Formats: sequence, structure tokens, C-alpha cells
Amino acid sequence: MQAKSRYKYLFVVPGIIWVLAFTIFPLLYSLRLSFFNARLGKPETFAGLNNYIRAFGDYRAWDTFGQTLFFVSFSVFFTVSIGLGLALLFNRPMPGRQIFRSLFTMPMFVAPIALGYLGLTIFHEEVGAVNTVLRAMGMVNLPRWFSDVWTARMAVVLVDTWQWTPFCFLVLLAGLQSLPEEVYEAAFLDTSSSWDIFRYVTLPLLSPVLFTVTILRLVEAFKILDIPFSLTSGGPGAATQSYSFFIYLTGLRNFNTGYASALSYILLFVMLIISSFFFSRLRKNFEE
Amino acid sequence: MKRTTYILIAAFVILTTILSSCAPAAPVAPQVITQVVEKEVKVEVTKEVIKEVEKQVEVVVTPTVAPTEAAKEIEGFPAADENEAKTAKAAWDAADKGKPDPAWKGKKFTIGVYSAGQRGAISGPTYFFRKNFEQLTGASYDIVEIPFSEMREKIATDFDTGANQYDMIINCSNFYGDYINNDWVQPLDPFFEDARFPKWERDSISPQVAGLYTWGGKWYGSNYDHDAMIFYWRKDIMDDPKWKEAYKKETGEDMPATMATWEDAIKVSKFFNGKDWNGDGAADQGVTLHLKVGGQGFFHYMAFSAPYVVLPNPGDNPTKVTKYNNVYWFDPDTMEPLISSPGHVRALEKMIELSKTGSSAMWGWSLGEAWAQFLSGKAFMTFSWGDVASLAEDKTQSTIMGKWWASGLPGTNEPYSFEKKAFLKLDKPNMVAQQVGCSWHPVLSKKAKNPELAYYWMALMATPPINHWMVTYGWTGVNPGTTYDWFPPQGKAKIEDYTVSGWNENDAKANVQAYADNFFTYPIWQSYLRIPGTTEMQNMSLDTHVSEAITGQLSAQDALNRTAEDWKRVVDEYGKDKLLKLYQDSIGYTPGQ
Repeated sequence: MQAKSRYKYLFVVPGIIWVLAFTIFPLLYSLRLSFFNARLGKPETFAGLNNYIRAFGDYRAWDTFGQTLFFVSFSVFFTVSIGLGLALLFNRPMPGRQIFRSLFTMPMFVAPIALGYLGLTIFHEEVGAVNTVLRAMGMVNLPRWFSDVWTARMAVVLVDTWQWTPFCFLVLLAGLQSLPEEVYEAAFLDTSSSWDIFRYVTLPLLSPVLFTVTILRLVEAFKILDIPFSLTSGGPGAATQSYSFFIYLTGLRNFNTGYASALSYILLFVMLIISSFFFSRLRKNFEE
Repeated sequence: MKRTTYILIAAFVILTTILSSCAPAAPVAPQVITQVVEKEVKVEVTKEVIKEVEKQVEVVVTPTVAPTEAAKEIEGFPAADENEAKTAKAAWDAADKGKPDPAWKGKKFTIGVYSAGQRGAISGPTYFFRKNFEQLTGASYDIVEIPFSEMREKIATDFDTGANQYDMIINCSNFYGDYINNDWVQPLDPFFEDARFPKWERDSISPQVAGLYTWGGKWYGSNYDHDAMIFYWRKDIMDDPKWKEAYKKETGEDMPATMATWEDAIKVSKFFNGKDWNGDGAADQGVTLHLKVGGQGFFHYMAFSAPYVVLPNPGDNPTKVTKYNNVYWFDPDTMEPLISSPGHVRALEKMIELSKTGSSAMWGWSLGEAWAQFLSGKAFMTFSWGDVASLAEDKTQSTIMGKWWASGLPGTNEPYSFEKKAFLKLDKPNMVAQQVGCSWHPVLSKKAKNPELAYYWMALMATPPINHWMVTYGWTGVNPGTTYDWFPPQGKAKIEDYTVSGWNENDAKANVQAYADNFFTYPIWQSYLRIPGTTEMQNMSLDTHVSEAITGQLSAQDALNRTAEDWKRVVDEYGKDKLLKLYQDSIGYTPGQ
């Protein structure tokens, strides 16, 4: 019996080694790096809190953080609301439902970087699909998708929305399908208004799933990098450069790994605060 | 919400999906990397061309058969057609081959080169000559293609971690700061007198480019590519009396015979912008530039701004570098950035003015998209690398063959003097040559496993017949930069060298002469930044801030102030004293001058 219990630890060891080697070690190593002046090809020197202090005074860090908030706000709002709309639509019998479901989930299986390059052909100002359609409709002042600050930002949001809406759709659809039928049967005795049923029955029952989807999307959206990288290269100027993009450039293009680590830890800290806030709200809802 | 609302939403999403799938094909833009696989070479009759090279070899040029679907092997070369193979064979036969060491048989080395494929710019020749090289030496080599955007980090990581995967790297000239600072590459001078290696004419290389291959008087690079931006415009339109008259009517001035200054170029571009001068019924553009962040727009700025900032040294030696003359990047005594100085600001303001005489979409264009506008006859002028000229000769991508002309970049009559701290007013424009770009060329790793064998390849590719052959074939991405590329009196090339490979005679003359002017006629040139941190300063900081200014997010002064601040920080992080010494060495400055 004792030997058997020892064997079980043996089976857990590879998992522990994996987590230690590929999660805990990099996390601790990057924490250490964040307190050093570390550049590829240069000896490391201790920097104390300098990297963190520099980050708070770095206009580029602030700018990219602001841009990330913009992407997060719009992208999460669009993906969750469109995903919810589609989930409600497909949570009822209708012809071709299975085909539409499959179609709607397709963008989720495309690599974000590929989607970004695809976005280039769709939003191209001269021959892109969007401007071609708008031109055919008689529009003269066509959107300058890549050469104007705000439209470029919206192009990033739209491609990100395109990619992540299916995820919200799938999770929310699963949530909807798990809601108890008898609650609806009881509700229909009180009202025939679809809106009232949605507002007072579906939404409250679905809120734990909605919270989960929102938090997952928030975390994912904060890390946005691939789409602006491939779609706009962060431009015009640095108008679509996200915070993660800035970290990538700092660490892997400029080789300033110390500063990049400090920037990463700041992002981790912000994410922890946001996640804690959401989870505390979620917990409170359950307690109520 | 009602069910119909959901159905409407779904219908909208489906419609959008269908529209997206119906979108036109990717932008009709040439590839950034020239890959002329189906190059049509029109030769009406079989004729013999005697090519003057080191050894006289007969080159029989026969009519081209139907274009091949893909490069096939002819004479051991993966050539697109027989002419290409035969001219390559002639070049190969004519090249000095030294005496390959039998001990190299069976040995191997690895070349790191930027990723453009087997018929792509810069990487293409490594594949093209491989079989013949292997037959000649009995040795072989591997080619590792590295994406351009990752090249510096891949190479630096390889050296820094001691992996030493690459024995030789065909590198961008601005990597030298890292190489020298970290002692990663070895000088080539010890090989020069060894009879085993081919001899290549170092004296034939333009002094500017030769400067990029050397450091501290030692040669680290061998001859390959010679980059510079060239000014291209539509000569057929500019020479048209109808447009000359219209110009005079609109501006009250004669159309400039030559656009010798950027101010002239802006005026001309402004005039042609928005007019249907190509007769397709739509308004056309004055200028086309690649100004997307990451689209190498900073090279446009560097080339454009040179005459506003760089002034010759007064006296007998105009090229001498002093504290105030022939400097562009930093004060060579203090390492203070000059990038936010009035000359730079004026230049950026002028470039913004020029960029407004074309489609605003160019602010989001990369190389291929920008070139496509010129090649398809929609833009009147551009300035960029010689790839534009080679692509203009490719009928599958160009409608302007035989219609364009080229020159070195314009200058300005009002450059800024660092010494007088004022703008000058000159009678003759300040003309400054440049070598913006990479001037890709091989360097030899200090940790190369078979350095002699690797150098043998470098020297062979650098021999005049082979290097000149590469210049005449646009797909190689090798731009002209030696006396054997120029026509007399500056050089010894013949027009047939170019027409055989499909060039229109006038186009070849214009392009080659423009390079010759840039590399030999212009009195001074802009120095090249080759210190550690160059990529961060140029490709990151300058590129981003120039884009911010061009798209109106910042004024030119603010954008360049930000650039200067970034550069100061980079200099401090790498160590000011260390960088100052490297900078002085790299531009040939002796303190106190």
C-alpha cells in the first residue's frame, strides 16, 4: 500500500518538473531581470527599481497602455455583445442551425497573425473589400484604415472582434443550453414579452457565464499583439501599438530585457487587480 | 429582442463574410522581394556577344523559348531561361577562381541570409551558384534564410549564446556596431594575398560602399550589394509639351528641366497630383512613398534630409569629416544627437509637404504597395532603391518600361550650417549622396568552422564578372556600385551587359548613370550609422516618430525632439564614451577637427 502511494508521486513528477521549468522558473527569472539593467551582449548590472520608475515616466508606456485600454474596451464589448446576440439566435430551432454554428466558429481557428494579414486585404485603402464596397455604394471620402489614427485603431478592433466573437458565442451558447427549462415555463405564465424574459430570467441566470467570458476576453484582449503586429505594424506612428507590442519591441527587438521584464510585471499586476475585481463581484453575486 | 432582429443580425454577419470572401485579390503590388521567374527576354535573332571580362569568353545569346513555369537547371544554374544561364556561365567562367584547396573537399559551411527564397533578392544568388561552387571545390554549404524583421535578433542571439550556427552572414551594413563591439566577425585582409582565393577588385568599389565593408582600415565584408536611393520619374509625361504648357499656365513658371532640388520636385509633384496625366479617366498621384511604420519609411527620411543637414568641408577635401561638416547623426565630439536640429526639422517639414502631393494611403504603404503605384503608371515620381528600376523592366508588373528616367536624389539651395547655426542660401544646390539601405554583403564569423572555405565563396561572389552579372539581373536584388557596373567614362560596362538581361536601353542608361552620379559625381555623402543601438535608433525610434509627424500626430519639431530624447537614452544605456569612440571610428572623425 505504501509503495503504491509512493508510485503516485512518481507519476506527478513530470508535471511538476514541467510547471517548474516552463512556468515558475521563467516567472521568477523575469522578476529578477526586472531589477537589472539587462541587454543582450552586455553584462548585467543591478538597477533596483529603476526599470519600474522609468516605466512610470515613459510616455510610450503610457500611450501604449491607453491604446490597449481602447482595444480592450471596444473589443470586449463587441465580442461579448455580438456573441451573446448570436448565442440567443442559435439557441432555438431553426433551419441550417448546425451549418451556421460551424461557419460562425471558423475565425476562432485561424491564427491571429494570419487574420491580421487577411485584414490587410480587407481594409486595404485602395483595393480592399471594405473600401471597394463603399466606393461601389457611392461613398467619396473612404475610411483611411491604415493612415488615420482612429480608423486604424478601429480596424484592429474589428479584426480582433472577428476573431474572438465565435469564442464568446460558443461559451454563451453552452451557458444558454444549460439553463433549466422549468424556469422559462414558469416565466411564460407571467409574461409573453421576450424582452422581459431575457431581462429578468435569461440574463441573471447567464451572468456567471457572462462574467467568465468577459474576464477571459479581458485577459486575452490585454495581451493583444499579433493583430496590430501584422495589420498595422503598430502605426501610423505608434497609434495602434499595444502594451504587449511595446514589451515585445523593447525585449526582443531592442534587447532591453530588464526593462521589458519590468513592463511585463506591471501588466501582470494590472491584470491581477482587474481579475480580482471581477471575481469579487462574481462572488458577491453568488452570495446575494 | 424579436426573432426577426436576430435574423437580421445574422444576415448582416453572413453578408459581411460573403463580401469578404468576394474581396479582390491581394493588393496589386509587386513583391518587395523581386522574383522574376518568368522574365521575357526578347532577342530576335541568334547573335554572338563578346563580353569583356577578366577572361574573354564567348556568350551565345539565343532566342528565348517560351517562359518557363519555374526556374530549371541549365548549365548547372537554376536559371529562368537560356540567356540567363549562358550569361551566368560566361560570368562564372570569366571569374578568377584562385586555386581551391583540395583539403576543402567534403567540408561544409553555413550561410545566414535574409529570407527571400531561391529567386529572391540577395538570397537568390546563394542558391543560383551553389551547384557550380560544389563542383568546383568539392565542398558544400547550407543556406539558412532568416526573415528580415528577425534577422538582427536571430544573429545577435546566435553569437551571444555561442550557438554559432552561421559561418558567414550576408548582413545589413548597420549590424557592424554590434559585430565590432562584441568581436563577432573576423577581418578578411589575411586572405587577400593567399593564392588559393579569387581576387576581387576592391579599388573598383565605390568609396562610400567600400566604407561600409570596412572598419578601422580593415576589410570585414566582401563585395556584394550597393544600396542607395535613386530618384525616378515619368520622363514621357514631363517632356510632353502639353504638360509643359499646362504647368506654365498653372504656376506661371517653366517646368524645371531637371529637378535639381527637393523644392523643384515638390512643385512638380504638386502640379501632377490629382490630374489625369495617364489618361485612364481617374486622377493620378504626384509622388508615391512607402511610409508605413515598419515599411522602411525612415530610409526615405534619411535620404531626403541629407542635403539639408550635411555640408562639405570647405577647401580641398570636401569629404573630410569635421565637427560641423559631413556629419548627420551626432555631434562627433559630444555624442549629442543632431536629429532635432533645424536642418533636420526643415527636411522633415519638406518631406511632409511632398507626401501630401500623393495619395494619403501611402502613409500606410510598405515598399511593394508604394512601388506598384509608380510601376502601374499611377504616380508621377518616387525615390527608392534600384529594385524599382528592375521591376519597371518586368512587363508582368510594369506598364512604364521605356517611359521613365532616373537621377541621383535632388539637393537643396538652403542647407543648415551647424557651424553658423543658420540656413545658408546657395547659388548651386547642396548635393549629397547617400547609401541608405543595407548594402547586403557577406561577413565571416570569428567562430566559423571552415573560415577559408567560407571566404573562398565570399571572394568568388565578389569577383567582377559574377558581381556585375548579379547587378544586370534585377531579381538578385544587387544594385550597381562598382566601376565595372558604370558606363564610360566613369566605368567600363557596356549597354549590352544590361540589354541582354531584358533591360530597355534607355532605362538601363538612366538607372546606371543615376547610381554612378550618386556614388561618384556627388561631392559628399551622408555617413552611415553603424554603432550598437542603430536598429533601435533608426528602425524603431526614427521610423515611429517620422510616421507620427507625417500623419499629423506631432509637429516635425516635436517628433524629432522625441527621437533625440530616445537616442540620448540609447546612447546612455550603451555607454556614451564607448559609443562616441565607435561613432568617431565609423565616420572617420579625428577629435579636434
